[in-house]
Amino acid sequence: MSTPLLAAHNLNRQFGGLMAVNDVSLRVHQGEILGLLGPNGAGKTTLFNLISGVTPVSTGRIEWRGVPITGMASHAVAGLGIARTFQNLRLFPTLSCLDNVMVGLHRHARQKRLAALFQTRPFHQKQAKLHQEALALLELFGIADAAHRPANSLSYGDRRRLEMARALANRPELLLLDEPAAGMNPHEKDQLCELIRQIQAQFQLTVLIIEHHVPLMMQLCDRLVVLNFGKTIAEGPPEQIAKDPAVIEAYLGGAG
Amino acid sequence: MDDLLQILLNGLSVGAVYALFALGYTLVFSVLGVINFAHGAIFTLGAYFTYLLIGGGVGSNGLLAGFQLPVALPFWLALPIAGLLSGAVALGVERVAFRPLRKRNADPLLALITSLGAGVILVNLIQLLMGAESHSIPTGSLGSLPAALSFGGARIRTVQVLLLAVSTVLVGLLTAWIDGTRSGKGLQAVSEDPVTAQLLGINSGQMIQIAFGLSGFLAGIAGGLVGLSVSIAGPYFGIGYGIKGLGVLVLGGLGSVPGAVLGGLIIGLAEALVPSDLSGYKDAVAFGFLFLMLLVRPQGLLGKPLPNKV
Amino acid sequence: MDTTLLQQMLLGALLGISVYLPLRCGQLSLATPGFYAIGGTVAALLSTRIPALGGDGVSYPISSVLLEMALAAMVTGILALGIGKVVLRLRGIYLAISTIALVEILRVVSLNLSFTGGAIGIFGIPQPFASPEGYVGFTSLLLAVVCWLCDRLERTRPGLAMAAIREDELAAASQGINTANTKLLAFVLSALVAGVTGVIAAHFLNSWNARMGNFDASITTLAFVVFGGTRTWLGPVIGGLVLTALPELLRPVGDLRLIVYGLVILMGPVLFPQGVITPERLSRWSRMLRQRLRLEAPTP
Repeated sequence: MSTPLLAAHNLNRQFGGLMAVNDVSLRVHQGEILGLLGPNGAGKTTLFNLISGVTPVSTGRIEWRGVPITGMASHAVAGLGIARTFQNLRLFPTLSCLDNVMVGLHRHARQKRLAALFQTRPFHQKQAKLHQEALALLELFGIADAAHRPANSLSYGDRRRLEMARALANRPELLLLDEPAAGMNPHEKDQLCELIRQIQAQFQLTVLIIEHHVPLMMQLCDRLVVLNFGKTIAEGPPEQIAKDPAVIEAYLGGAG
Repeated sequence: MDDLLQILLNGLSVGAVYALFALGYTLVFSVLGVINFAHGAIFTLGAYFTYLLIGGGVGSNGLLAGFQLPVALPFWLALPIAGLLSGAVALGVERVAFRPLRKRNADPLLALITSLGAGVILVNLIQLLMGAESHSIPTGSLGSLPAALSFGGARIRTVQVLLLAVSTVLVGLLTAWIDGTRSGKGLQAVSEDPVTAQLLGINSGQMIQIAFGLSGFLAGIAGGLVGLSVSIAGPYFGIGYGIKGLGVLVLGGLGSVPGAVLGGLIIGLAEALVPSDLSGYKDAVAFGFLFLMLLVRPQGLLGKPLPNKV
Repeated sequence: MDTTLLQQMLLGALLGISVYLPLRCGQLSLATPGFYAIGGTVAALLSTRIPALGGDGVSYPISSVLLEMALAAMVTGILALGIGKVVLRLRGIYLAISTIALVEILRVVSLNLSFTGGAIGIFGIPQPFASPEGYVGFTSLLLAVVCWLCDRLERTRPGLAMAAIREDELAAASQGINTANTKLLAFVLSALVAGVTGVIAAHFLNSWNARMGNFDASITTLAFVVFGGTRTWLGPVIGGLVLTALPELLRPVGDLRLIVYGLVILMGPVLFPQGVITPERLSRWSRMLRQRLRLEAPTP
């Protein structure tokens, strides 16, 4: 079997006495859409934070294309081509939508210092190109009209879309989506599902997604991993997960 | 040996004032998570209130030149009244510098700036009204008490004993209040988690006011005592204590009551131990401690670990 | 207008920029007066102790002032790099407190060192310009250069990165921004601006002492930025110009300088959370101005 794009080996993270992530191992293969399911507090977001370098791991190992990246700072993780969105939305609220996406392009916006100082033609050309790329992304998510409005003036759903546009501006290989459909109505959820498929194909992405809406996950994901109390309790294609007794137990039982 | 005892006594009495001062900071910090930069100005006010209440006259420079209260209270009565007045001013500061920002859910860092503004206004109002000159509380204010006491070969000024005694009593009362009463527990709850405290029926707005009132009272008392001990060196008198108090606060741990006391005593003693040929550097001691502490252990000696905000 | 006041206004604008730079990344540093004091001390020492800089002895050459500025920039820059690496790990209130402590330590040290003249300071700093007009010209030029550099900074990648850090540091880091380095850049630039401003101020004031970088100065410069805003460099420049001039204009009422500053810092964050000068307001004003001009222009 080929090296996975991202692999986590026996990850652990404690907060005080709480095992937020308990011995979780995970493999994300190039080009797949992998879903993370689990009840609230199962450790899904913590796992994202560990992967993206926001929270340091207690023990365990993370590898990117087989190379260890455990303990890397989050800006360096972003530099590898791992982009993410946040469960509770972390936009730059008073910056314009366009600027939000422009910040997403940070790693690709490097210019020669002197050229930037004296505003040479190549500087302006590159700057114009970056603007176009940012606008195209806003367009893709249907929020181009709001390009010059501050991010905090958008509706909740649009903010979620803007955050995805910003993540795509990183030009990532792996996209981590943390509850992208939260707060959306069923119609918007369907649209989002379509959109995720579309961008995955268009940008040749690998996607790791957390979402509570099970039907959406069944429809969207190639494989699912189910966490409960910080532990992996099931892993496999959606059809198989749907029938898994441990999963049914975690979601419906709980008493046993 | 006697020298050392003398130094320790001096250090303790200075440290007790620092502790009193830092306690005021820490009370407000524990409920709001911000520092009230007007605290030093309120300390100054306390000194001026005490001075006026015992019948001191204003010098010849301010708008109130020559003013004198018709009554002259004894020091032991003037001090608590000055404390209460300072507490009232602190409540005013809360209202103009903190509440409007809280209502807007603004960045807490902004309260740092607005309270600084309130402090600057207070200090300069004093200057406008009473001039920039120093005023000294007459040594006879303590009535028939002797100027100094002999204590195992060391001489300690009565004022310093008073500083130490009043600070100890106030710190003791405050600790007992926080740990032993309903409202004290409410204060603790608000400092742990304001939202949950509100849900539990604790009026957090009221707790914030209590914290400010108490903190102003403590600052006022500290100001009056220090004003008696050394003279009131003009309206900027409290600023130096205010900045130094930050050192005490950080050393002990922001928001920690025992930390403020420990920090005050450590810095008071450390300053007293600075050899006399280096006495010019004494004022840097607190900041040296502060700097070191922030680098090694930002939560201070007795503070809670800093939250990791994700 | 009184040229001395004008000169003070220009110095105020420069110091405003110095406080503004870290605040653009959301970092409240009150270290500006410390670096300003160091810059002034460098100038005072060099110009009074090194005869070679005096040129032909008739007047103090401007080239020597430039040399002092270069040296002051080097000293403050290196110091800021070292200190910034350490203190910028702290956030919010902790950073503010640590920078206050830094300024106080510098002040106490300079009060106690003999070569800085102790409490008395250094006197008789030579004058490169015979009149205040000369200073105004030179400082205007410096301000123009600093503004131009700030403008370039804000229109390019690091400027946007700084704004992003101000808005949400964690989210900025996950866009690939090296937040530690970006904050350090702002801190060092802030120190450089304060340092070179101190050089000019030392010559202009003719004497220099430890009180130049006190807590008062922290408050004054902070007021410039709170008034002007942290969104664009134009904010602190206007803040510095206006707030330096305002108390002088109010002088007939009495010495209300610091009360006015106090009011600005107290009310500013509530009434204008982003300062008076924001990019949105600027574009609105310029639209209004253009409309007015169009109305007044004769229609063909």
